[in-house]
Amino acid sequence: MSRLHRFLRSPEAIAGTAILALLFAMALTAPLLFPGDPQAIAGPALLPPFQDWSLPLGTDRLGRDVLAELFHGARTSLAVGLSAAGAALLIGAVVGTLAGFAGGLIDEVLMRITDAFQTVPGFLLALAFVSIVGPSLGVVVAAIALGAWTGPARVARAEVLSIRERDYVAGARVIGMHPLEIAFREVLPNALPPVLALSSVIVAAAILTEAALSFLGLGDPNRVTWGAMIAEGRAVLRTTPFLSIIPGIALVLTVLGVYLAGEGVVETTAVRRSLS
Amino acid sequence: MTALLSIRDLTVSYRGDGREVPALRGVSLEIEAGERLAIIGESGSGKSTLALAIAGLLARGARIGGAIEWAMPNLQMPHSFAPPSVLPDISPTRGEISSSVAGTSFSTSMIGESGNEKAISPLVGEMSGRTEGGAVERRPLHLGSAVPRLGRDIGFVFQDPSSSLDPVMPVGKQIAEVALTHLGLSWPQAYAHAKTLLERVRLPDPDASMRAYPHQLSGGQKQRVAIAAAIAAGPKLLIADEATSALDTIVQAEIVSLIRRLVAEDGMTLLFISHDIALAAELAERIAVFRYGELLELGTTAQIVNAPRHAYTRALLDAHLGLDAGPLRQAGAPA
Amino acid sequence: MSLLAVSGLTKRYRRGGGTVAAVDGVAFAIEPGETLALAGPSGSGKSTIARLVLRLTEPDAGTIQFEGADFRSLGGSALRARRARLQMVFQDPLAAFNPRATVARVLDDPLRIHGIASRTERPRRIAALLERVGLGADLAPRAIHEISGGQRQRVAIARAIATKPSLIVLDEAVSALDVSVRGRILDLLLDLQATERIAYLFISHDLGVVRAVAHRLVILDAGRVAESGDARAVIGNPQSAIGRALVAAAPRLNRTTAP
Repeated sequence: MSRLHRFLRSPEAIAGTAILALLFAMALTAPLLFPGDPQAIAGPALLPPFQDWSLPLGTDRLGRDVLAELFHGARTSLAVGLSAAGAALLIGAVVGTLAGFAGGLIDEVLMRITDAFQTVPGFLLALAFVSIVGPSLGVVVAAIALGAWTGPARVARAEVLSIRERDYVAGARVIGMHPLEIAFREVLPNALPPVLALSSVIVAAAILTEAALSFLGLGDPNRVTWGAMIAEGRAVLRTTPFLSIIPGIALVLTVLGVYLAGEGVVETTAVRRSLS
Repeated sequence: MTALLSIRDLTVSYRGDGREVPALRGVSLEIEAGERLAIIGESGSGKSTLALAIAGLLARGARIGGAIEWAMPNLQMPHSFAPPSVLPDISPTRGEISSSVAGTSFSTSMIGESGNEKAISPLVGEMSGRTEGGAVERRPLHLGSAVPRLGRDIGFVFQDPSSSLDPVMPVGKQIAEVALTHLGLSWPQAYAHAKTLLERVRLPDPDASMRAYPHQLSGGQKQRVAIAAAIAAGPKLLIADEATSALDTIVQAEIVSLIRRLVAEDGMTLLFISHDIALAAELAERIAVFRYGELLELGTTAQIVNAPRHAYTRALLDAHLGLDAGPLRQAGAPA
Repeated sequence: MSLLAVSGLTKRYRRGGGTVAAVDGVAFAIEPGETLALAGPSGSGKSTIARLVLRLTEPDAGTIQFEGADFRSLGGSALRARRARLQMVFQDPLAAFNPRATVARVLDDPLRIHGIASRTERPRRIAALLERVGLGADLAPRAIHEISGGQRQRVAIARAIATKPSLIVLDEAVSALDVSVRGRILDLLLDLQATERIAYLFISHDLGVVRAVAHRLVILDAGRVAESGDARAVIGNPQSAIGRALVAAAPRLNRTTAP
């Protein structure tokens, strides 16, 4: 039975994949369905949802189209979530591999740096970084990755420590392969599966961190983000709670979708691993 | 001699990646009570599958056809047993219930299998027992009390004793638990029984060994503990599946002589699974030669060794490099 | 001069409070084109010696002279370059290769690393290597895990001879193989030795195999040399206690008819 087949057997995986597919569709179609600036005024302020079918989810305090903002916000959430997680996994895998494979002083130094990063809560780290450097999409991605790479680094190091004792690593040394080539070509690819298993958690956390930064006004001011939408709606929370609730639901569904799909992938590959 | 069990038309296949991989094809074989029978073959011969099928330890997802009939005097409830779920496309042969020997009850385990998804693929290839292994999920094949129970009626010794021993429990306790479960002894009795067993398998300093953890013992000592646990409940049948393959030659010889002595003392029937025809010939009275899941030849050891009927058996014998075999080339100083 | 001369080789491991010598002052020499066997029970240090000789593990003491040079003093790129002459074949050919590798990649690596053939020339060299070990060139694109155990061990031998070594360490290289495959692999090794004059350090627990292929034999016990000499002479008339035990323990087929 193929991996895809097994993946599609789990209801969690199907639900997660469906949510993510919807999210990607939103992100990809946003410029087509809502061309122009989503932050431009589209109608009267504080129009409730389902009143005017040209503005199905209504408008916010400044009269901006909530549905357009939601679609464009999906782009930011996904872009930041995926690139921050990708950067964190890359940094973590490289640091973990170097530490585990080199051993000795290099291992000691790299792991103490990892400790230092791990003792500071990731969100505070991101907060401090963005406050100092200034908010833009790239800085937000870097800030989130800065707090998220330590987990993958530890997992990669543990895996590398076991792999470097295997015969095929000795075999690579016997044919005279350079240590760096051994580390990154022979060892790292085989150490990746458990590191990648962390990716769903990291993507979900990155999306939440991005939302939190935006909520505090530290997101990219030129982009619509769900966090900023929630913050914007907070001022009128008593009278028009939907302004906060709609992006809030989008955020919850996204994190849930990422998590469920990730679990599905992990479970599928875990079954395959136990079989081989 | 009377048959302890007779295997009729046993077929086992595993499912892997959508394919059905046969491991045993229509094997019929009688194991006599009290004999030492060796099953030999190379990897992919189905010899381990046969051992697991007899012990009821086949992995989930194995498709099984045919019958294994037991004749054990101490089994309760002599009746035919049908499994709860039998796939329609598998119709196991009905085991006729006969009582050829007075006072002996036959019971047949009818075997049918639902195509479970957790299939394991058999190790196909040319690797032999030495590095095979790894625990797979096991599932009892024989259910109910009418069929022999692993541990009580069948003792099983695996290739790798580390995988069959609990790493965080003293070995004395592990053996005592087997006795406690199957013999209905009190804990102090079971513990004393375990110590007797460790003495019987000649573990140095049985008192200290009772409290030892598996990692504190050598490979040979662990295998002795595994054997003690396997015979703790006084089984009728002892199955040793490549039990000496991971050990060096000296320890292997010790374990083989230990097995020979224990089998003789307790009147057990021995099923000795091995890839090594010379080792099998030293221990067994009869040898069955397997290849690609088929029983090629079965005979007394002398007959198999001196007058093999099958060309494959002859090839196995010729491939053996003994201390008396001819050289592959003329030895001496290199040119 | 000997191809490989080892003396005073010692490796200690920390265990509990004290240290245990896994290898304790071992000395032996291998001549070009010769097979020297190391035999002994498990824990006798034979596999540790293989790793020490190859400098996969650093010895605590002792000298290793290889091809007239001090092999222990080499480091970095000089060591990597010299490794071309001293190769190894492992017991379990599945564990000895990257699980993601293909046959072609496994054979391409040594050719590339030691600059033996240009990128365009390498596929032809790989095909030639496969043929030399009795495999078809069509095996090249296959994944290592797809081919049989015997084929894998042939690929391992092809990889070992790719850099034209003068010595190959065979660490239980035929112990995991089925007997019918084992005979053919041993034939291949003997053929390679006859044509390329490769010396083997043949590590095995099986005296039957040792007797069939080795010129000389060193029997080890608890990290020390128990006895050594002509392989057939030692096996025919062992002097040490461990030698006698190993000979006595070897399974015998008492065939009455001639094979």
